[in-house]
Amino acid sequence: MAISAASEERVAAIRNGMWYGLLLALTVWFALIPAFGGNLPFFFYLMLWVTMASAFNIISGFTGYMPFGYVAFYGIGAFTTAILTKKLGVPVYFSLPIAGLAGVALSLLFAKTLKLNGIYFAITSLALAIIVRLVITNMPEEITGGSFGISLGSRAEPVKSFYVMLGTMLAALLTVTWLARSRLGMALKAIRDDSEAAEAMGINVPRARLKAWMMSAFFPSMCGGIEAWYTNVVDTGTAFDVLITAKTIIYAMAGGLGTVTGPVLGAVIMVWLDDLFWQRFPLLNLFLLGTAIVLLIQFMPRGIVGSLMQRWPKLRRYIM
Amino acid sequence: MSGFLILNGLVNGIIVGVLYSLIGCSLNVLYGVLRVVNFAHGEFLIVGCFFGYVLFETFGIHPLISVPLAAVVFFAVGYGLSYLLMPRLSKADDPETSSFLMMYGVSLMLGAGMLMIFEADTRTLDFRFEPISVKIGVLYVPTARLVALAVNLLVVGLLTWFLYFTLYGKALRAAIMNREAIQVVGVNIHRLSAVAFGIAAGLAGITGVMISLVFPAFDPFAGPDYTLIGFIVIVIGGLGHPIGAIVGGVIFGLTEQMATVFLPQAMAPIVGFSVMILVIFLRPRGLFGKVQQR
Repeated sequence: MAISAASEERVAAIRNGMWYGLLLALTVWFALIPAFGGNLPFFFYLMLWVTMASAFNIISGFTGYMPFGYVAFYGIGAFTTAILTKKLGVPVYFSLPIAGLAGVALSLLFAKTLKLNGIYFAITSLALAIIVRLVITNMPEEITGGSFGISLGSRAEPVKSFYVMLGTMLAALLTVTWLARSRLGMALKAIRDDSEAAEAMGINVPRARLKAWMMSAFFPSMCGGIEAWYTNVVDTGTAFDVLITAKTIIYAMAGGLGTVTGPVLGAVIMVWLDDLFWQRFPLLNLFLLGTAIVLLIQFMPRGIVGSLMQRWPKLRRYIM
Repeated sequence: MSGFLILNGLVNGIIVGVLYSLIGCSLNVLYGVLRVVNFAHGEFLIVGCFFGYVLFETFGIHPLISVPLAAVVFFAVGYGLSYLLMPRLSKADDPETSSFLMMYGVSLMLGAGMLMIFEADTRTLDFRFEPISVKIGVLYVPTARLVALAVNLLVVGLLTWFLYFTLYGKALRAAIMNREAIQVVGVNIHRLSAVAFGIAAGLAGITGVMISLVFPAFDPFAGPDYTLIGFIVIVIGGLGHPIGAIVGGVIFGLTEQMATVFLPQAMAPIVGFSVMILVIFLRPRGLFGKVQQR
């Protein structure tokens, strides 16, 4: 079936229109929540997980890595923000971007692991995250607060941090949207599918991978920082909890890795389900999360959006 | 005095190291044959601890009798789990990473399940050997640890014999080397996979009972710590290589115990992980393994 250039353009216009329309609607909705007295914590964490899952998608869905120590970026962001704001008195609007850059710096430090394959990369990444946590826990108490962590004092500003989270989420989503259509995004997918072939086509494989890795590290560090600001407290136990990695992976995977809309949809559905479970069965929560993971891998490994696209390939043209 | 501490560290390093070897062996049998990295292994071990604990507390069964019982029960469960979990998984786009994630889900389920049944208390197997410790040279070593060492060495020996001198063991090693080729010569890969899963689980059961003898206490939260130790061991030894896991386990056990002699307690895990990272960068395939880089 030949598709004319004109109709192809129309399809692209519909696809972009739907996606940007959805983004605009979400932004307006979320922006109005504090004013109308909505459930602030719920929507704050919803945006946080959408950001985490979308950023994870860059290194995992597009590039084919499984960083099981992803939480390291989140934790380093939380601690950078807390230390800068509390100990050095830096205004929080400056410490947050610095926290993001700290994540990027950490990703550069770990860049050498990118040459490891599949499961080796996953295990090494997990070990590195634990080392980062141990190093921070064992630092002098004046700097990182030891095992008690740091309290940001009276600096909590839930509404302001809510809007900063909204901005960060939009930045992450626009980055992924741009990436999906860009040369770099194509290069990453080529590397994921066959890195040798990609190299033969003239793609600078290590460079492209590194770019994805750095982008993917920036946003979780921001999230960690903003969450520290929102909750007013940071400690190594929660800021480096492996569950943060696991939830990020599962939310992204439930929607569909490698698509732009997938991680968003996955995070929304799973955060909503999580909220239901948490309120009704606190003890069962972990058990149910575990069950969800097993069932997901067994029955829907491509996630919701991925499965829909596999079933009806034409959707591929209309969904990001 | 420091010479005494070093000697003590060496002996404990070997006792703990052989235990770690068993953890690594189980992971490597499973990874080698099924390409499954068992993120739930730590929880399997803790279930094994509770198995021995409940049998002793409720029926007064000697821990050394629990060992073969655990092996049989865990083997059966692992054999069944293989048929339940593997068929769909092996069709996934990236079975290795998928299985890694799925076993993380299993680990959450087991951890939460144990928390619901046994609650968060720390348990101790209240069993004493007579005499309670044995004098070797200048050192007093707890009898329980020596018994555990003997049992573990016996299990390692049996496993080696099984892998190298029995038909099933040879088939298992062949499957590790080339999963496709072995099907050509008429091996039922599904049953072999189930046996591998069973052996891995059985080893976990045995190791679990031994953990409750060697270490002072266990609780439902301890699983991930043992899983991580297992990961370090198999990465050092080489993924999918059972003998590599034995060497890796002893290396890691010695490093960890010697680190506690010379460094603050909290730094010991960092040393363990650093050894692993060092091995990855110097010998990315581990000491015995074969892995491609990208």
